[in-house]
Amino acid sequence: MTKRLYILLFVSFLTSAVFGQFVGRDHLSVSLFYMQKEELDSAQKYIDLAANEEEFKGSAKMWYYRGFIYKDIYKVKEKDDKQSPARLEAIEAFRIMLPLDAEKSEFTESAGKILKYLASTMYNDAVRSLNPEHYKLAISNFDQYKSTMLMVEPGMDVKTQDVKFKLALASMLNRPAETEAGMDSAQTYQVKKLYLEILELDPDNPGANYNLATLYYNEAADIINHMDYDMDIQKLNEVQDYCIEIFLKGLPYMKKAYELNYKRKETLIGLSNIYYGLNDIEKSEQYKKELEELEKE
Amino acid sequence: MILSSGFKMIGVDTNSKMKAIFILNFTKLIEWPEKYREGNFVVGVVGESPLYNELVKMSSTKKVANQSLMVKQFNSPDDITKCHILYLSKDESDALNAVITKVKSNSTLIITEKQGLVDKGAGINFIVKDNRQKFELNKGNVEKYKLKVSSNLEALAETVK
Repeated sequence: MTKRLYILLFVSFLTSAVFGQFVGRDHLSVSLFYMQKEELDSAQKYIDLAANEEEFKGSAKMWYYRGFIYKDIYKVKEKDDKQSPARLEAIEAFRIMLPLDAEKSEFTESAGKILKYLASTMYNDAVRSLNPEHYKLAISNFDQYKSTMLMVEPGMDVKTQDVKFKLALASMLNRPAETEAGMDSAQTYQVKKLYLEILELDPDNPGANYNLATLYYNEAADIINHMDYDMDIQKLNEVQDYCIEIFLKGLPYMKKAYELNYKRKETLIGLSNIYYGLNDIEKSEQYKKELEELEKE
Repeated sequence: MILSSGFKMIGVDTNSKMKAIFILNFTKLIEWPEKYREGNFVVGVVGESPLYNELVKMSSTKKVANQSLMVKQFNSPDDITKCHILYLSKDESDALNAVITKVKSNSTLIITEKQGLVDKGAGINFIVKDNRQKFELNKGNVEKYKLKVSSNLEALAETVK
């Protein structure tokens, strides 16, 4: 009987030793305790509780550690998940934290470093997702990368990377055009839209000018190529109007690519073809001759 | 990151395709005499022209009523044999008089593509207006070869003489 009493007292002592340390301690402190012990599940549980408590809603410290814990969860458990919810949760926590820490600047520098790290993982995942199956994920990761970077450096110029990313995306999306299957009108529209976006950011981008002009040319040429010989003249005139409009849309971009000295031979072929499509045989021949001269060199 | 590479252009002779469609339309809107409605329907091309290849391509799938389409290339007016339609490319425009002499006893529609040739004996002349492929019609020049022009063709022509 005495022995059983001792056991009971011992168990009771152990229980209070473990849990007693949390008596009177808030959820944030408990979460930090587990965080230091690298027990991420418990740290997450308590930081989630803290995040829902009124006393912490305006606490930069709580949001910083919430971001920190979720960043660790991402690193330990979700590193291979390109849509990692923990990473998004971490970024969101830092987003809330930054204005709360604006006056004291206690956590801002460290949060900035973590945000840059998270942004770089987003960028890498965006690049890795640049394939026909996952390109939508690539777009969303790249957008997230940009907004995260702008959180840390609001004045940062993301234009160059934006242009590079869109060029790579457009190139990848245009791949079916290089195959026999070709591209449907929705795909063509999507790639054209991307090039227009690129040229809005960087009007002198040579590759974008050339590729956009080629897309326009190919669109009209493809329509003409597939016209039925039996088409009546009235319909033929309508199709001509439509195709001429498309050739004319492409012309300034091809001229620009030529001015920018982009792939001289290809742009000369491009200009010659577009003018031929426009039934301006004289100008088409002029560029053809220039190409012949170039080939002689 | 993969950078964008230059896209490839579709290889198509846009101008010849349009002209071929026009020519097939002419066969439907012009009536040849009875004796020309049997055997092959022959379209001749004088000299080198990218249109020849396009017409050959068209002839593999299309007919004129129940006549098979046959495309012939003539190096010079002297080589011309009986044709329903004879096309002179811009480069061969100077040969128009010789062509007219050669086909005067036939029912041949002469098609050219140089400004003013519709006044010099061509029945139809291809022109370009506002970047569009159009055609001029000289009804008299068509009908003197015993061909009948439909009113629809007149309505579709850019100018009718």
